[in-house]
Amino acid sequence: MTPPQDATPKPPTYPADVEASMILPKQRASPASSLASLPYRRSNPSLSKLFESTTSLSTLRPSSASGTATPTATTVPGSVFSPGSRAGGTGTPSSLPPGVSDEYRTLIQRAFVPSVAVLADAQTEELVRAKGVEGGLLQLLRPFGESVPGKVTIRDSNGASKSWEDFGVRFVGVDDAYPDVRVDAVGQRTSSSSLRRPRRTGGDVAQIEELVDRHLQYSEFNRHDPVSDYLNKGEPAAHSESTSSPFYSLYLRRLLSGLPVVPHETFSHPVAGIIAISSRNPHPIEELRTLYNRQHDGDLRFPQWVENDFLRYYVLIHDEETGDIAKSNQTFDSMKRHFGLHCHLLRLKSQQCIPSDDDSVRLPTCEWMSASEELAEIQRRETTDDITDPAPYFPDSDISSLRTFIRELVTQSIIPNMERSVSTWNEQILSRRRGLSGRFMSLSKRWTPFGSSRNSSASSTSSPNSNYDSLQGFYRPDAPEAIMRRLADYCFMLRDWKLALSTYEILRTDFQNDKAWRHYAGAAEMAALSTLMAPTPLSSKSRSENIDTWIEAASYSYTDRQRSAAPYYALRTLMLSFELLRLRGSSAADDAARWATRILETRLVGPIGHVLITERISACYSIRTGVGTYRLGSRRRKAALWAVLAAENWRHLDKSFPAEKCLDTALRLYNLQVDTQDGGMVKLPFEDMQGFFDELRQQIMSIRLSNQGYTAEEDGQEEDDRQSPDVEVATETLDTSPRAHRKSFIGAVAPPIDVGSLSPALERKEDVDSKSEGFE
Amino acid sequence: MSYTFSILSPLDVPLFTHDFGTSRSGGDGVSRLTPPERALVPFILHSSLDIVEEVQWGPSTSAGAAPMYLKHIDKYQNMFVSCWITGGNTRFLLLTRPRDEALGLNAGSGSNKGSLAGGRAALGSSGGLYNPSAPATEEAVKNFMVDVYEAWVKTIMSPFFAVGNGDVVKSPVFRQRVATAAKKYL
Repeated sequence: MTPPQDATPKPPTYPADVEASMILPKQRASPASSLASLPYRRSNPSLSKLFESTTSLSTLRPSSASGTATPTATTVPGSVFSPGSRAGGTGTPSSLPPGVSDEYRTLIQRAFVPSVAVLADAQTEELVRAKGVEGGLLQLLRPFGESVPGKVTIRDSNGASKSWEDFGVRFVGVDDAYPDVRVDAVGQRTSSSSLRRPRRTGGDVAQIEELVDRHLQYSEFNRHDPVSDYLNKGEPAAHSESTSSPFYSLYLRRLLSGLPVVPHETFSHPVAGIIAISSRNPHPIEELRTLYNRQHDGDLRFPQWVENDFLRYYVLIHDEETGDIAKSNQTFDSMKRHFGLHCHLLRLKSQQCIPSDDDSVRLPTCEWMSASEELAEIQRRETTDDITDPAPYFPDSDISSLRTFIRELVTQSIIPNMERSVSTWNEQILSRRRGLSGRFMSLSKRWTPFGSSRNSSASSTSSPNSNYDSLQGFYRPDAPEAIMRRLADYCFMLRDWKLALSTYEILRTDFQNDKAWRHYAGAAEMAALSTLMAPTPLSSKSRSENIDTWIEAASYSYTDRQRSAAPYYALRTLMLSFELLRLRGSSAADDAARWATRILETRLVGPIGHVLITERISACYSIRTGVGTYRLGSRRRKAALWAVLAAENWRHLDKSFPAEKCLDTALRLYNLQVDTQDGGMVKLPFEDMQGFFDELRQQIMSIRLSNQGYTAEEDGQEEDDRQSPDVEVATETLDTSPRAHRKSFIGAVAPPIDVGSLSPALERKEDVDSKSEGFE
Repeated sequence: MSYTFSILSPLDVPLFTHDFGTSRSGGDGVSRLTPPERALVPFILHSSLDIVEEVQWGPSTSAGAAPMYLKHIDKYQNMFVSCWITGGNTRFLLLTRPRDEALGLNAGSGSNKGSLAGGRAALGSSGGLYNPSAPATEEAVKNFMVDVYEAWVKTIMSPFFAVGNGDVVKSPVFRQRVATAAKKYL
């Protein structure tokens, strides 16, 4: 009975939505759930589009060849069940077992990409706002940067080049780097009443939980027709090998969206900066200089631990309708004379476009927005009564010129520049460290007073000669450690895993000597990840010796070793490493499951994440198939146990659809067919187990029915009439089901959902609570 | 401490299940598993069969013949599973659920409960806790298993009991003997 419809993106069907909104009053009247009054019951086409597009984007690969066709959810038939991800040269590690997609590896690869700072003058922002994009130029560019059209060729440190289809960049603003100070100030100043401005940076686990919960609620309540799930229940069995849920993909994606700008890693530090001016600006060159100065030294500067001399890219935005192209060309020429080759002339139409226009294209949605942004967007769409799609439409020519711009920016400026930096730093700093003299130097630096490059400002307490500023907790950007970290991160982003790994290893020891624990954790984390990302096979010995220690060190140093714990990073370490370990074949699957269990034990996630990870543990175990006829060493029964646990946890959260999916997974793993059509009774080995299963399924059904609004209430007669065919079918299906004691809930009062808590964890927590209260 | 003892046939059919609590250190021999925990026990026992098979067929750790007593083999949260395997590939599984105090659950976990802070403190690991592979624990479980095995061999020698067909053990005498062994050693 698995209804994995949440996985198959289906275009928002408007008639269905209309119908749903017609049923709405009835649902409101049902006392079964006080949830009825919550705003997400509102079925609003634009909102549903948002939900569906985000969920189904999970496996969406950049359809780069499609040119101008925007990759919205409605046009792409991709689903979790048909991952097209292995076609591209993604360098799948060793050989994957059949039926296993490296979807998450691709996702991780796409999450760590260079960031580009965006700065525009007032006229440009005005122009972009007039076209219907609220956030200005930054917001306009973001969706385009996520996937660079066409192949991107990168040369690694050995000179071998490789092409990637899924390369991208992230555009960031200056204010993203100041999470607390500036946002708070803005929030208080603009409006004390309304919510705070959504942040473009992520890293907030609680918000990710809330967002995924929203999506789950939506899929729970907007399943228009529970009966159809019954009727096509034969179909989902074909997809049995799929183990990933779209909600987990969403969780992981939001976890990796908008990496915060922090001192201990440089992924979100800008690699380049775009400075844009409009052709309407009377003094273009002067304006560019002012903007540059403000960014370099003035009020728009990044925090002091961020390297400030990154590549600047100058863009002249030409307004096709009011501007004079000859004049713009002239300006552009003088820009090139003044600032060199890193310039671009972007031609945009200033007029706003409407969907019915001839060659209008919907602006693609941002795939890697942070959880708080998406929450804000959902709220905005819920509270407006406007049912039209609020996404702005752009003329075709604009979209293609934007795409060309991004491609030129990435392939001709950013990547060559990064490659050059990597080779320079490799020669000047890294190789000096790696040789014999380098080791000696680091020793002498540690033990003798005449070490190199003593930093005058560093008031370090840990060791006298380190570059680490332990009071403020960062290295200055020109310190060799900081440059090496940047080198390693560049390598990681350019997918040169080998050089990245060796650099992280050197860094790890350096940071350890300096007692820079957060930096140390970051280096250990990335060392583990770059080993796992590399396509080379891995012996089980090196795995257990290196990777496990690194993961352990990273998760420990992120949380326990220091006063201020960074649970977000610990969670990221554990989640990414267990996902990557899982792809490393059957012997690593146990380790993967162990690290995933560690997440649960250390309570790094909230309730939603808990269940999603429980599901993943089941997936980790089920990837391990045994050898020989007797399947020795398989973990089928373990996988089934965790699937049952996940089902039960979903039930606690009142999510009937994922619960049922997990239950069916479990049944499949216990080698039982899902409810044979003729009602053949299948038994689990223990009687207790069977009883537990039946009860669970019954509770799931009751949740579903009460969510769908079926109650014994005195509904209006005509509504009953309208509903009656559906109800009829449902009852019959239920009666033919083999379980004797499964009653039809229709026409009876919905049974109480809360039939005693079945989770040991929950019960014990309450115990602990009461006891600890007693102590105080 | 609470225990659940299960005998599983080679085809994973449960032949016998007995719940009891510890009789030592003032225990009254009654199982203290909460209902939700008890509901999960069969699932956990069943899932640990994966590990049993791996240990059974994997490279032998002791010299000579493969041991019948496989010691502590698996763990789910706070539940520990020990196994004894007979010559006929019948598995005896003993699940142990120590008291919360023995796991150190009451000590530090109350403070950071519910927060997303995580960390080692939440793992609740410190000294003096229940250790499934401590020699004393292993010895006690082994003695219990030996006694049960003796009773089991006597039971299956009965010509009216076809163990190969997966007959469930109904004999009250057998149950009595298991209970006695439990009282004596656990």
